[in-house]
Amino acid sequence: MITAQAQQAFVSHPSAEEALQGLHAQVWRAHAWARAPLHTVATGEALLDAQLPGGGWPVGALTELLQEAGVHNEWRLLLPALAQHGSGPVVLVGPPHPPFAPALLAQGLQTQRLLCLCPGAFALDTAQKATPPLAPASCLWATEQALRCAAVDTVVAWLAQVRPHQLRRLQLAAAEHHKLLFVVRSLQAQHEASPAVLRLKLSLNDQSHVCVEVLKRRGPPAADLVQWAARSAALQQVLAAHGAPDRPPRAQMPPARQMRQRP
Amino acid sequence: MSAHWIALRLKDAASATAPAPSDPLAAFAWQVLQVTPWVAQVDDALVFEISASERLFGGRAALLDCLGLSGPHTGTVCYAQGATSLLALGRLACVPPGTCTPFPPPGPHVAPEIAANALPLHALARARPHLPTLARLGCHTWGQLRALPRGGLARRFGADVLAALDQAYGLRPDIYPWIRVPELFDAPLELAAQVESAPALLFGARRLLAQLLAWLRARQLGVQRLELRWELDARRSNAQHLDAHHQGSDHGRLELHTAQATQDMRHLERLLGEQLARVRLPAPVLYLRLRSLATQALPTESQSLLPDSVRSGDSLHQMLERVSARCGAAQVLCAQVYADHRPERMQQWQAWSGAPAPVQPLRKPAAVDRDADASGALYPTWLLATPQRLLSQRSGPQFHGPLTLLAGPQRLEAGWLAGESSILRDYFVARSAHHGLLWIYRQRLGSDTPDGTQDWFLHGYFA
Repeated sequence: MITAQAQQAFVSHPSAEEALQGLHAQVWRAHAWARAPLHTVATGEALLDAQLPGGGWPVGALTELLQEAGVHNEWRLLLPALAQHGSGPVVLVGPPHPPFAPALLAQGLQTQRLLCLCPGAFALDTAQKATPPLAPASCLWATEQALRCAAVDTVVAWLAQVRPHQLRRLQLAAAEHHKLLFVVRSLQAQHEASPAVLRLKLSLNDQSHVCVEVLKRRGPPAADLVQWAARSAALQQVLAAHGAPDRPPRAQMPPARQMRQRP
Repeated sequence: MSAHWIALRLKDAASATAPAPSDPLAAFAWQVLQVTPWVAQVDDALVFEISASERLFGGRAALLDCLGLSGPHTGTVCYAQGATSLLALGRLACVPPGTCTPFPPPGPHVAPEIAANALPLHALARARPHLPTLARLGCHTWGQLRALPRGGLARRFGADVLAALDQAYGLRPDIYPWIRVPELFDAPLELAAQVESAPALLFGARRLLAQLLAWLRARQLGVQRLELRWELDARRSNAQHLDAHHQGSDHGRLELHTAQATQDMRHLERLLGEQLARVRLPAPVLYLRLRSLATQALPTESQSLLPDSVRSGDSLHQMLERVSARCGAAQVLCAQVYADHRPERMQQWQAWSGAPAPVQPLRKPAAVDRDADASGALYPTWLLATPQRLLSQRSGPQFHGPLTLLAGPQRLEAGWLAGESSILRDYFVARSAHHGLLWIYRQRLGSDTPDGTQDWFLHGYFA
């Protein structure tokens, strides 16, 4: 229903789009971002920020990272945000391998902030006996405890077997306590339902660059793949010096996605 | 403000279902010590003076509420009030045993003397030996006794009766040996029934923790280490049982540690619950004992006038203690960086101890930063705990397909002083189609096999 005032607005403004926007502030259109104000942390990569609602990782929400089983390329993606966000502990729940603290320190993440819970996959030390892996329920419990802790800023959890209702519990805990929460899962979960606010699929291209595909976000379906050099600047220099191929153009439209875009 | 005394007695028929501390009156006295320092035990009753603290606790009714003495059902105690301690005690003596109705306090307009005059003489402890004589004199109430000539009273019945009478009417000060809180907390508890399973001990331990809280508050301390002991039933005690909690004797023990001194009994209860869940009792338990091993003065926090944004949730120490109590201490790790050239020795993941991380043992913090800028970026973000041997063929190392060497070698020759942990390695950055960039190395010494292949190991992932 268009009132006389709105008709006036149509006439006076060159763009009818703008007038409509002013009129229906409460109407969300499917091709626009969700309007709810989001507290986000920049990812450190402008191309990826552009793909995420609010321009970064959502704080107080669950972000899911999916990648092939046995492959773990998440550090490069997460490190800038972990280093920036807050100064409290970064809790890693059930990491698949021991994180190498000197390398993380070099990329800006203070060693004192790292805390590992339930590292069932790796032994404590060569001198001490290996710890048996914990039940998945213990990892979930530890994740939730970490989220409920006031001092913790960020929680990264590697959860192999997790059900949607368990993820929902984590999502609620993250929202209640306003924590940055990443859950790393295997690619098999791609077609399962998930309460995550943001779901990203990580894969490698033939040049060993990480491709990020946005599977789910609060906004229109993502069309672009973001390609990301999975290496730090210093390593990039060393590789360049050794004649390794340079990074390719980082955003491109793969043919498969173009096909899907076509009506 | 005039003094206000309360006399309090435990009811004879204490509920038999709940486990009772061995000295319930002392346990109650500690609770009262949170409110007033003037607490004394007179025979089987407790007297204490509360007028000085009434304003702090928001009035007399609120203070009694705080002690659990409000309402008609005051649980296991009955009490009476009065302007002097002997008046309160006298009123308490008039409450028939077995009932719990508190003696009604006098109205504000009734003077203490008039209220006291009507009390029967048997309610005055000092006059009790002389009751038959006094009865023959026709003297039955406090008022009648007080009306007798003082000189004759002192000669006939002794000066202490006169002194008690003066004290009851507020003419002499109320002085008692005041109860003080002991230096160490050590409270036993007899359980109401034999307990067969360890988690059920928590029910009894909860009572001890409540007692501990009263002790801590009275002394303004926080507890750091606690010991819970339980005595095994001697008839079924098998002295051969040995584990982390039982050393073959007739008792078992368990120690609780907290990183920060605390008065938070909810946290201690959860820790205790996690610990008890892992205890297996060889015989039933009848007695518990809780002891404080280490305490620390608890600084009181000054509160801000303005509401500040408090982040919700519990503290880091509590969270980590809970996780390590349930999952084991080896499941909570923090990183420690060392100055070494061998990658496996550059860091150590150690069990979290609660203490803040010590200063870097070998390097200065500034040196860390400079070194990190120079070389740290060339290290992988995941480092395998034990290097994984790779298949190697003539074409080179294999890991889920052939590997392409991108950079290297970076030659590492270190640890020759340490003997067996010396390494001679050439590190390479390799690319795997499936796993991205890998950090692999080649053993340099004595590793060439006759067919010309070499020993290759995977040591890390650049992720």
